[in-house]
Amino acid sequence: MQKSKKVVILGHFGVGKTSLIRRFVSNQFSDQYKVTIGVHISKKVVDLSDEDSVSLILWDLEGTDRLEQIREAYLLGTHGVIFVFDINRPSTFQNLKRDLETVKSKVQDRPTVVIGNKKDLVPEEEISSLLEEHDIPYDYLTSAKTGETVEEAFLHLASILHHDS
Amino acid sequence: MTPEQYQKRFIEKHLQFIELDTAGSVLQNTGRILPIQKGQNISEAHPFFESLEPVFTALDAPQSLHCVNLDLEGREVIVDIQVHPADKGFMLLVQDLTSHYTGYQAVAQERNESIIQEELIVLKNAELEERERFKNLFIQNFSHELRNPLMSSMAITRILSESPLNTEQQHLIEALRETNTHLKLMLEDTLSLSMIASGKLELKPVLFDLKKMLDVLSITYKTKAVSKGLDFELSSHERVPQWVEADRKRLFQVLTNLLDNAVKFTEQGKITLEVGFNQQYANKVNLHFSVTDTGKGIPEAKKNTVFETYSQLTSPEKEQGTGLGLALVKGLLTLMDSEIQLQSTVGKGSVFSFDLEVKVPVESGWKATLEKDADSIRQKTTVRGRKYRVLLVEDDERVLTVLFKMLMETGQFYLDVLSDGAQVLEQVIENPYDLILMDINLPNTRGDQLTRIIREFPFKNVERLPIIGITAFAYEDHLKAYKASGMNAVIPKPFEKEELLDTIFSCLKS
Ligand SMILES: Nc1nc2c(ncn2[C@@H]2O[C@H](COP(=O)(O)OP(=O)(O)O)[C@@H](O)[C@H]2O)c(=O)[nH]1
Ligand SMILES: [Mg+2]
Repeated sequence: MQKSKKVVILGHFGVGKTSLIRRFVSNQFSDQYKVTIGVHISKKVVDLSDEDSVSLILWDLEGTDRLEQIREAYLLGTHGVIFVFDINRPSTFQNLKRDLETVKSKVQDRPTVVIGNKKDLVPEEEISSLLEEHDIPYDYLTSAKTGETVEEAFLHLASILHHDS
Repeated sequence: MTPEQYQKRFIEKHLQFIELDTAGSVLQNTGRILPIQKGQNISEAHPFFESLEPVFTALDAPQSLHCVNLDLEGREVIVDIQVHPADKGFMLLVQDLTSHYTGYQAVAQERNESIIQEELIVLKNAELEERERFKNLFIQNFSHELRNPLMSSMAITRILSESPLNTEQQHLIEALRETNTHLKLMLEDTLSLSMIASGKLELKPVLFDLKKMLDVLSITYKTKAVSKGLDFELSSHERVPQWVEADRKRLFQVLTNLLDNAVKFTEQGKITLEVGFNQQYANKVNLHFSVTDTGKGIPEAKKNTVFETYSQLTSPEKEQGTGLGLALVKGLLTLMDSEIQLQSTVGKGSVFSFDLEVKVPVESGWKATLEKDADSIRQKTTVRGRKYRVLLVEDDERVLTVLFKMLMETGQFYLDVLSDGAQVLEQVIENPYDLILMDINLPNTRGDQLTRIIREFPFKNVERLPIIGITAFAYEDHLKAYKASGMNAVIPKPFEKEELLDTIFSCLKS
């Protein structure tokens, strides 16, 4: 039986949440920025092995710099979280640890994958020193633009959720 | 149509009620927003409903989800969804608010874009500032590194020039000397620039004869222009005052840089230095300075970059303003609350201009006072009725010539001249000098080191011997360090005769 898992994508606006989903679901990217309002739902079935698959229902939430303001109803029944920040904009990760605490408390400690996005815009050697300097606990560095590491990040969460149940 | 019919149609279009059993199967459906039929499972309408299962199971009160974007068979709709507990399971209320939310989206779009934009600008600026800071630090270190080899080069050039040379060799030495001087000037400009950038440069307004300054500039640049086959003209409005109060040295630096630049980049025609009169308000006069050339002109796209330091690094061809001169002009004028203006037509030439507010003394008799002051200093010293013995130590022949001339003209000094630090100590021990005037950057032993040694001498007359340092490196820090070595005063290059004599006499008096 295929299981459906609700995954919410959180983070400040403009960090690339919508773009990451678009890359993952339909392998497309656009430079145009269209602000997401409310929530945008899409689905992707992920094959984990020959007989095993999991269906991810991706909730692309309106970005906000104040996580407390997220409508509770959007988070009901969340299985997993992807938290995205933009490597280029310190304002999107400078309170990351606190943001993650807030998220945790709102989703009852569901598994969370932290993504630093837009790695294509920053030279490799700068990234690591930047993130170390700010002591940022990230899981993946991705680029929705080039597609780098996008699938890995989503698959990682998918397999956690699969084993979770 | 009757109002009831209108209402029915409107509701059908914008509202949909779907009755579900506890497993999510559609029992009844009233509308067309979600494409779903009786008997189907609600999750077939959109994957969104797959993830609602937990909502359904835990539902004890109505639950609302606002602003849900759904892609429905190519249509994008934005709906509000309410789930109510019902007799047989649930009642879904779907409300199409696409047009309402689309308006809201446009507002959010504008707001978010401008916030991000602003953030990126702030970041960009921080980065530019950091680069600028690094650049200044680099310039300061670099010019310090450059100082010593340049001094050796000048010393070696001088030694060579004193050896027997044939005509060709003499020409080569002359060229070498000019190169050295050029380098030295650039070094000074560089230091001034980095001083401005790091806020170390302060203006020192003095009362001075503007007409005389303009005459000096006119003579100097007429010579330079003529030797290049150009004309030179100075024109000054009749209301331009003779005596003004401003930082004479820095104004001079601004004008010479603009004039040098004009001569350098003009192949034929004329250079004009013009001083216009804008207005007078109480004891302040606003003047308009301009330097006009008939050179090749500066294209529109380059008009800002010519004032940047090291703009030549990015431009392969030699352009007007490559180098430090114009950056220095811009920086100095900013310090003076003014701003450099550039008008230029490619093929016709350029006009660099600026407005400058200077003070003019209003009380009558100020000039007499000024001159009397200077006179009285000189008188006091001559009243003593003897000439002073001065040891002059300077390795740069040009500076030496100037100093020599300035001091001899007063008729009050006997001068001994040395150019090498190593000989100074011996000379001081053997001769009863009244004062030493000494360059600090001397070959072999530096002036401040010599001063330290002299101050340790066990002779009574020597420990109080006035020593005045001369230096091209006029950082406040340096000046302090030099004074700490035991010098009575330090005069930064370039200096004026009055400044030099005033310093000498005040040291001799005390
Ligand atoms: N260069 C680059 N741009 C990206 C990347 N991801 C997103 N963007 C751009 O960033 C902007 C915001 O992306 P979006 O996905 O709408 O961000 P959201 O507000 O978090 O959903 C858009 O202009 C995207 O094209 C990336 O990995 N690299
Ligand atoms: Mg988005």
